[in-house]
Formats: sequence, C-alpha cells, structure tokens
Amino acid sequence: MSVRSDVDLGRIALLEAIRREGKEWDVIAPRYGVTNPDPPWRTSLVAMCDCLAVSGALPALERRSAEDELTKSVYGEVSAPESELLALVHTMLSRGLVTEGDLASRMRTVRSRLEAA
Amino acid sequence: MADKHSHAGDDHDHKAAPMVEEITDYEVLEIAVRELAIEHGLFTTEDHRKFTEWAESIGPAAGSRLVAKAWTDPAFKARLLKDGTEACKEVGVDWAEPTGVGTPSDYTNFRILEDTPTLHHVIVCTLCSCYPRPLLGMSPEWYRSTNYRRRLVRWPREVLAEFGLILPPEVEIRIEDSNQKCRFMVLPVRPQGTEKWTEQQLAAIVTRDCMIGVALPRPGRTADVHPVHEARRPVHSASEHGKAAE
Repeated sequence: MSVRSDVDLGRIALLEAIRREGKEWDVIAPRYGVTNPDPPWRTSLVAMCDCLAVSGALPALERRSAEDELTKSVYGEVSAPESELLALVHTMLSRGLVTEGDLASRMRTVRSRLEAA
Repeated sequence: MADKHSHAGDDHDHKAAPMVEEITDYEVLEIAVRELAIEHGLFTTEDHRKFTEWAESIGPAAGSRLVAKAWTDPAFKARLLKDGTEACKEVGVDWAEPTGVGTPSDYTNFRILEDTPTLHHVIVCTLCSCYPRPLLGMSPEWYRSTNYRRRLVRWPREVLAEFGLILPPEVEIRIEDSNQKCRFMVLPVRPQGTEKWTEQQLAAIVTRDCMIGVALPRPGRTADVHPVHEARRPVHSASEHGKAAE
C-alpha cells in the first residue's frame, strides 16, 4: 500500500561495493562481543532523515516510499539499519542531492580522519 | 579488555564494555553523506544535533508511564481520552519537541485507543512507518516491514498469533492505520492481579508491544520477547544443497 516513488532502482557502484563487503552490524557486533542492538551511527541517521524532511530537501513520505522499493529490490539482502542508510544515500544520489564522485572522495577523507593515530 | 584506573580518591578494577574495533564503510558513509548534506545547505549542524539529542532521549518508558497513570488515575484517563497530545505533558512528553512544532512526522493529532474486554486495538502504518515516537521511541524493524503493514489489515488474528497473541473469537480486533496527521497508541486493559500495584509496578509490565497492540500486559511479563517459529518446510540455499549432495 506504499506510494510509488520515482527513485532510480539501478545499482550504484559505490554502494554496491559497500553492500558486498557484508559488514552489517548484526554480523560484526557479535564478533566483538558487542550486545548493543544498533550501530553507533543509527541515531544520527534517524536525525539526518528528520533534518532532510524539515528542510524539504527530501520529504519523509517520499524517502520512505523509495526505501520500501529499494529494500525489497536492490538492498533486499541487507539487514536494517544498513539497508535504510543505503536506501537514503541511493535516493539522495538519484535526486542529485549529492554526487557519487563527491561521496567517494569524502568517504576517503573521513576514513583517513577516523584512522588517524 | 581489563582496565584499571583511578577516579578521584578511588582506585578500582573494572571491565569496559566491549566495542567494535573496526571502522566499517557504513559508519564512514553515514558521516560522509551527512557532511556533504550540511555543506550543500540541505540542513545545518545545529539542526542535526538537535534532532540527534531528541532521538536519543525518546523511548517506550514514557508510554508505559502514561498507561500506568491512566490505570490508576481516572481523572487523568478522562483527560487523556479527550486530548491525548495535551495529556502527554503530564508525563513529561511534549509533542512539539524538538523544534517547537514537533518533527515533520510527529507533530500530530494523538489519540489513545482504549481496549475493553471485548475490543482489542492494534496500530499500524500501511503507508510507511508512522509511529508515536515521542511516547514509544524508535519503531521496531518489524513494524516498518511491508510484511507486517500489509498482512495485519488483512489477517489480523493470524498476524497477532505470530506474535504469540491469540485472542478468543468474541474479542473484536480493530486496526488503526496511522498517518501523517494522526498517531495512535493502545491503552490496554489493566490485567487482573494488579489491583494493589503502584504506578511504577504497573509501568514495568506495559511494554512497547502492549502499546502497539501485539501483546497484552500481564504480571511477570516485563520484556517483549517474540516466539520463534520453526519453519515447517525450511528453504535452504543452493550452496547448502550443494554441500549436502557432496
């Protein structure tokens, strides 16, 4: 009964690479004996969705409709909340709110920052 | 990892909670897209901080307190049924938070659905995942699933049975479909055997699932544990079949 979205369901190389790694929280948390059911970034993701809705950049209903379509197709095998993150980013890329090149570049910057001693 | 350190005037050993000791691309992706969104002016750092703090602060405890108070205070219950949004302030929940006009999906007309011995309510959002977040916190994953959203309205008894809730046929089941303008929460029937309980005791048995309507409160039940149904005809992956054939 969800509303059909206009999101492009084509696979996106950057997100496919992340998906294929299979580093979802429910896989890695038990490996380290962590019992928290959610990854540390989940609340931030929820807040980001609220912010995008408040600003009108990505209305909540349109985001959720796109998420419904993406999580039963492109990201059907990914568990939540990773599937929600991938769906959000996929939708933002699809709408041109960010570009894949900028995102890939920023991910490299963020990783080197997080891994700095 | 064992950790020994001293606080002011205190020297003791304790174990730190385990942490995931790797940085996944999911974590990196969330930070990267957020930074770009802020740089592109889609929202501000301040907005994000405000919504993050709010999201960290909400949870089902507020809803539990609300139900316990309604069970023990008839005047409060009357106010709650008359104007749910306003009555929530009495348990410290203001639907206008965190912006003054709520969140885009939470500032709504909030209504309490009162169960009776012959009427049971369940909430759903068939369109997306509307949920009374200020009272119940983040929605559980199953609530967001298309499986729950589609099947509950068609086969309510069967879906409730999957949660371990089997209602007798004389109990009418009413499904309330949430939407962007109206949110619902179930006020379950106070269970027998709790007549002399305090509000605090009562709140402990009002779990999130009871307020969604997929469980009933009862003495001794203080957590939502869903039964695991073993598949009658399990489906194995192709690789498992291959191994079995070897």
